[in-house]
Amino acid sequence: MTPMIDVVFQLLIYFLVTFTTPDVLAHLDISRPAPDASQTEQRTPPKMIRVNIYVDGYSLNGRAVSKEELARILTRLAGFSTSQTVLITCAGGSEHARLIDVLDICAACGLNKLSVVSAQ
Amino acid sequence: MSRFKQPSGHTNMTPMIDVVFQMIIFFVCTVQLEKEAISEFILLPDSPHGPMVAEAKDPRTITIEVDDRGRMFIARTPLSEAKLRKVLAKTVADYGRYGPSIPIRIRADGGAEHAHVKRVLDACTAAGLHKISFVATKDRA
Repeated sequence: MTPMIDVVFQLLIYFLVTFTTPDVLAHLDISRPAPDASQTEQRTPPKMIRVNIYVDGYSLNGRAVSKEELARILTRLAGFSTSQTVLITCAGGSEHARLIDVLDICAACGLNKLSVVSAQ
Repeated sequence: MSRFKQPSGHTNMTPMIDVVFQMIIFFVCTVQLEKEAISEFILLPDSPHGPMVAEAKDPRTITIEVDDRGRMFIARTPLSEAKLRKVLAKTVADYGRYGPSIPIRIRADGGAEHAHVKRVLDACTAAGLHKISFVATKDRA
């Protein structure tokens, strides 16, 4: 039996060493405007929360904000109603991680009507 | 018969060990196959507050990957934008009435430019797909 137990222990050690727990993934759902809606984009109702993502910063309803400010204000706005639509406009040159940051803030404060628009 | 007869007090373990090893090999192989559908070179951005991945996954789900250089992949196959549009349009057409509700998961690298992600989003929208979600890392292991 001894050689077999040796082999089994080797296997056990191999699996213990190579075992890595997989990362837990999150899903951030968004909605996109229909392809023909780009012309009517200007007539957005004022009830919307408009977040713009630039290469080097964020703006909320036209006012430049830092990431912390954005999180604070969005949390306060979500306190009134979480069914508000958030229109996120993302600049083409900005990193994808910045968009995910904003989607994460929205998820954290319960805003779930997210619409992502890309700016040129 | 006497070949299988063990000395008193011992049971023959060999067949059981054979079966156990077969099972180990089977599980090792199947885990490997599952991993190969997604690329390990994509560094997903963090989203600690995002909702967890649903356990019951829609079998129609299409995972599109975008790496940090803007290349697009489905199941590790690199695709041009035109090809991606064609693939999505074909898939939607094949499913008929249920086509537009196919869930899309976008695994984009955190460092990818939004313009590259936008190409995927536009391709999805053009095909009529509207259930789009981004994949991010909730809890790094």
